[in-house]
Amino acid sequence: MPERTVHTTDVLIIGGGIAAAFAALKARDAGASVLLADKSFFGRSGCSALASGVYPTYMPGDDEQAWLRSFAGPLVNQPLVMKALPIMYEHLMLMDRCGVKWVKEGERIIRLGGPGRNFDSGALMGEGGPQMMMAVRGEVLRRGVQVLSRIMITDLLTSDGCHPTGGRVVGALGFHSRTGALYVIRAKATIMCTGPYKFPYPKPGSLLGYMPIDLSGDGIAMMLRVGAELSRLELGGINIYPDGLLCAPGLESLMPSGARFVDRDGRRFLEAYDPKRLELTSRALLYFAIATEHSQGRRPAIDLTGLPPERAQLLAQVIPIIIQNYRTAGYDVTHDWIPYTYQVAGTSGIFGAGARITEQGETSVPGLYAAGTCSDMAYLPGGHLPFCSVSGHWAGEQAGAEVPGMAEPSVPEAQVEALAAAALAPLGRADGLSFEAVHEALGQILVEEVGLVMSGTRLERAIGRVSGLLAEQVPRLRARDPHELAKVHALVNYTQILEPILRAYLYRTESRVAFMREDFPDIDNEQWLKMVIVQRRDGALRLWDEPIPSSFHLVPPRRTKSRHLAFRSRDGAG
Amino acid sequence: MARVEVLLPACTGCGVCVETCPTDVLRMRGEGPDAKAIVAYPADCQACFVCQFDCPYEAIRVWARP
Ligand SMILES: Cc1cc2nc3c(=O)[nH]c(=O)nc-3n(C[C@H](O)[C@H](O)[C@H](O)COP(=O)(O)OP(=O)(O)OC[C@H]3O[C@@H](n4cnc5c(N)ncnc54)[C@H](O)[C@@H]3O)c2cc1C
Ligand code: SF4
Ligand code: SF4
Repeated sequence: MPERTVHTTDVLIIGGGIAAAFAALKARDAGASVLLADKSFFGRSGCSALASGVYPTYMPGDDEQAWLRSFAGPLVNQPLVMKALPIMYEHLMLMDRCGVKWVKEGERIIRLGGPGRNFDSGALMGEGGPQMMMAVRGEVLRRGVQVLSRIMITDLLTSDGCHPTGGRVVGALGFHSRTGALYVIRAKATIMCTGPYKFPYPKPGSLLGYMPIDLSGDGIAMMLRVGAELSRLELGGINIYPDGLLCAPGLESLMPSGARFVDRDGRRFLEAYDPKRLELTSRALLYFAIATEHSQGRRPAIDLTGLPPERAQLLAQVIPIIIQNYRTAGYDVTHDWIPYTYQVAGTSGIFGAGARITEQGETSVPGLYAAGTCSDMAYLPGGHLPFCSVSGHWAGEQAGAEVPGMAEPSVPEAQVEALAAAALAPLGRADGLSFEAVHEALGQILVEEVGLVMSGTRLERAIGRVSGLLAEQVPRLRARDPHELAKVHALVNYTQILEPILRAYLYRTESRVAFMREDFPDIDNEQWLKMVIVQRRDGALRLWDEPIPSSFHLVPPRRTKSRHLAFRSRDGAG
Repeated sequence: MARVEVLLPACTGCGVCVETCPTDVLRMRGEGPDAKAIVAYPADCQACFVCQFDCPYEAIRVWARP
């Protein structure tokens, strides 16, 4: 066994995005000692640091009903949205004080509308996501949080030494992705903040997604292994992004700036899908339209040539990653169209799916909390930055309140030994299978069997193929050094959670938002105002559904069935 | 795949990019005044431009395409 470092803390936070940062700050407010462990560099990691410059936030004086209308689907915890609104503003102002460079007119933070929100809502980061998260990092460090970067957490530790556990989570195990040193962290409370699930390390042009490429749902896999209930896995859906690149779509700032989508002949194809709203159509229909145009070879593209020059200049500051991607890929945005593609299902995108949590961030396993996009976010509407920061806030507050007076956790040595040996095993398999081989095989399953619009038969086949990979290839994976070992873990974790994800896709026999089943093309509000829950117990996956509590609905939903817009336009287009 | 290149004469070996690259593409090579950033894992570059934004000496450049 390599060198081992042991840390002890009241609250352990796994991950270093916006949910993690606000969880850390609130747990410190409650007086707890806090350790944050990030597999990458905290401040430069996760979706948060690479975000496309928009923090869609409520401000005092806004019409709360307009906010509610823009987010409140029938599967949304609507009172919780209302509760979140003032906290978003508190976070906006905290970030302002700690140096986030919001775009301002004089002293006033200015905002733009966004897809689905025709009122001013999105505060703009004057130097994009990277500057925002570095300023937040500064505040977290000032507040005395101990930060460990490049620590790939591999497993949760449990009081009874068992996975799944009948006891509580008492910390976590990980390794340094450069030195390979082992880290054992003992904690009274652990908050998982590891971001969304997605296919790891996608190649440009592959239909398998974009940055951050190192995220794949590690935390969701760890929580599945300790027996936590997971939910909302099936509702994340698909996404769109620039073809051949790994950067984000940037819709929140591009759409309200006058961007248009055209096909290779310059036709504004959304006229055929949603003639009234065009580019301001729902995200799901936009995704569906771009995917359809792409798969029919009509090269859908974003056209930014109509942007006023001062807006184009502003965007270069707000979404520097995207604009640099366009530029160095050889596009001149004042002149060229930039082709877009779609990402097949198998991702929670920016949505938030994973541990089922209470409004205080508690999972179903004692001692374990979750926040942000690795959780179901207690059915907040999605993984926008402000919903993630608020979700971290609540989990940090509750964990911080829980730890005083609790005994020091004790970590079972036999469990540490066994999990450490398993975590490092790929380093000892010199003639094992390469990362590339298994990665390629997994990507093929997603593209061939899951795709954009799913079907029961193909999902069954996908589950069979994934089980095959898990049984035959995954146990033989090799890693040449600790850097590659971290990649192998990301790949294995993703492969492990694919089965529950695909089973949840299969379980929900309807279509909804970006979740589309060709064998069940209706949005079914008669049968499916339900959450699907998945849990691993006694060596098997259990799936069940529970009705959406009526307390979620400020506006009672109409319990009717209607054709999903994507299929309506397809039926119509014949 | 993306492309990242360290402009060796300009690189002072300050280590900023090596510390902050999200996907751990960059490492230090050499000691003292000879220390330079090197591209250790080129296949894992996601063209996020973080290294280029962070480098105080404009010594590292990224292209979204090879
Ligand atoms: C490219 C991109 C652009 C976006 N732009 C916007 C935008 O402009 N506005 C907006 O509102 N939303 C945007 N979104 C959505 C939003 O950014 C995310 O939903 C949100 O940042 C998620 O925050 P999080 O804290 O849940 O996770 P993340 O920010 O993804 O953080 C996850 C953290 O966990 C760490 N981690 C993962 N696994 C491990 C492990 N095994 N051990 C230790 N650490 C681990 C990661 O390194 C990272 O620090 C964007 C999303 C993407 C991907
Ligand atoms: S562009 Fe991003 S991923 Fe590539 S080397 Fe620079 S910091 Fe790392
Ligand atoms: S930040 Fe710039 S100067 Fe510093 S090590 Fe990296 S490339 Fe060299």
